[in-house]
Amino acid sequence: MIGARSQDEFVAARGADWKELDRLLSSGESLHKLDGATISRAAALYRSLCTDLMRCRAARVTPDLAAHLDGLAGRAHAALYGAQPFRIPGVLAFFARDFPRALRANGRLFAVACALFFLPFAVGLLGALASDDFSTRVMPAQALEEMAKGYSQGFAGGRDAGTDTGMAGFYVYNNVGIAFRCFATGILYGAGSLFFLVYNGLVTGTAVGYVMSVGHGGNIWTFMCGHAPFELTAIVIAGGAGLQMGYALVATEGLTRVTSLRRAAPAIARQILGAASMLLIAALLEGFWSPSSLPAPIKWTASGVFSLLVVLYLALVGRADAASPVAPAAPAALSEARS
Amino acid sequence: MTPRAVRDPLDTTVEIETPEHVRFRYHVAGPAKRAAAYLVDLAVRGVIVVFVGLLAMIGFAVDSALSHASMGLMLLVAFVVEWIYYVLLETLWSGRTVGKRVFALRVVTEGGHPLRFTDSLLRNLLRAADFLPFGYAIGVVVMGRDPRFRRLGDLVAGTIVIAEARAVVAGPLHLDPPPSLAELRPLPQRLPLSGDELDAIELFLRRAGKLSRAREVELAEMVAPVFARRLGVRYKDAPRFLGVLHYRAHEHRSSSMGAPLGPPLVGGPSSAPKPPRATGVTA
Repeated sequence: MIGARSQDEFVAARGADWKELDRLLSSGESLHKLDGATISRAAALYRSLCTDLMRCRAARVTPDLAAHLDGLAGRAHAALYGAQPFRIPGVLAFFARDFPRALRANGRLFAVACALFFLPFAVGLLGALASDDFSTRVMPAQALEEMAKGYSQGFAGGRDAGTDTGMAGFYVYNNVGIAFRCFATGILYGAGSLFFLVYNGLVTGTAVGYVMSVGHGGNIWTFMCGHAPFELTAIVIAGGAGLQMGYALVATEGLTRVTSLRRAAPAIARQILGAASMLLIAALLEGFWSPSSLPAPIKWTASGVFSLLVVLYLALVGRADAASPVAPAAPAALSEARS
Repeated sequence: MTPRAVRDPLDTTVEIETPEHVRFRYHVAGPAKRAAAYLVDLAVRGVIVVFVGLLAMIGFAVDSALSHASMGLMLLVAFVVEWIYYVLLETLWSGRTVGKRVFALRVVTEGGHPLRFTDSLLRNLLRAADFLPFGYAIGVVVMGRDPRFRRLGDLVAGTIVIAEARAVVAGPLHLDPPPSLAELRPLPQRLPLSGDELDAIELFLRRAGKLSRAREVELAEMVAPVFARRLGVRYKDAPRFLGVLHYRAHEHRSSSMGAPLGPPLVGGPSSAPKPPRATGVTA
């Protein structure tokens, strides 16, 4: 009994509106692409449905009707309060503001991640230069041999385009995968990020050191100098974001662990997205630029420019309008319906 | 008031309150359904890799330059399938992948909103941690300890996976054969049953057709004696008894409460034609 009506009368009276709303929602997933009048109509139908739902709850209608209205209200709610649709300005704002800011806000853990990567890197490098025994303890001898062979020739001949493409694919798969794993395992109270940063630092340092010890140091450094500013920085950023997850679990500042984690999540997402973009640049450089037959001075000059760009970008971009408040996110469909 | 009285019933639903101060419920998807959806996605990803692998074989057969390029393409596809597949589909299909579509699951934020790109990115990158040490072991343990079955990725991204049952409004229940006067006479006009008890009876009767006769009786026997004792009546067939109870309650609901204090309707409840509730709304 709803108001002065039986359930059946109520359904007969309101059913047409529910069906109309259902049809609007089923016409397509994205309500914001419809015209303004339709969106307004959907919003009005949704509000009246909310009223119906509350009356039905109070009147204890049969469970099937309640479940049907529940489902309809849920879908309408999702459509009307939908997420912001993908917009180009949003992407620009991300690179021009959000990513560098998020990284600077996490500056301390980024510094820790740098230390966790580059100290083992130095240890590996010096250890491998000091003794072959050290290298073979860190990496399998066979892998070291292949590395050394790979860097035994210079870049005079360059590589053919097919190999370049192939290697770019490999770098995307391998390096971005390393960075993502370095990040994701940080959820285990930072332990995973810590391990992968140290491990990758040590292995990379040892590999470089070994190649130098057999006399191809110039080749490997010239090869690495182009993409390293992007690649190594990005891996460290990913590791730093992972550490931030672990840190949010420990330093909860009175919140529950999960709430503390959720509070840090947007900044963490920005850092990992930024790191992934940098790794994409690195993979393209590593596939096509680094192995090219360009003379070493050009590569080293470019490396200097790249390093400077990365540092300036991460340190300075997005500072200018730091005081301006970030606009609150309005429900997309509703705000468009109003305009 | 005891804590027990105010506590939500133990169930796998999550209630969301909207700015309109309306609450509605979602059913949270459990590990079994999600594992099944995962296997479907795994199969889809496997097929993609095999298909691209076959294309790459052609590249290998032609010449060495192309074979390197094919290798690169394969690794790129492997990367996309491993890391991007879920993010791409969940973003494009508003929280669904192929496997989730098959099992009618959807990822939404804890507030019930469709998930955004960054939510999907976080929850799917965290698969690398949930997967550890093998086969999503950590993820399953974390899910088991969370009332909303969230794995690590869901906790970080603030998402839940819901089972989207599109409930249809069913037709009125019919008791076959219709209850006789002898069956109805011992029952009072207003049954001393709570709303929850009536709901439970209705849900049981709607399921009854899908159960075996023995199971039907077994389930009905769990509550029928309780109701019979309360009403001071006897019954022979428990499912039938519940059907008659439902009939009496429903007849009561659709007629006399329309005018609670007025005189009884002329002609009685059963003679009044019912509006077509069943055909009105179906989703």
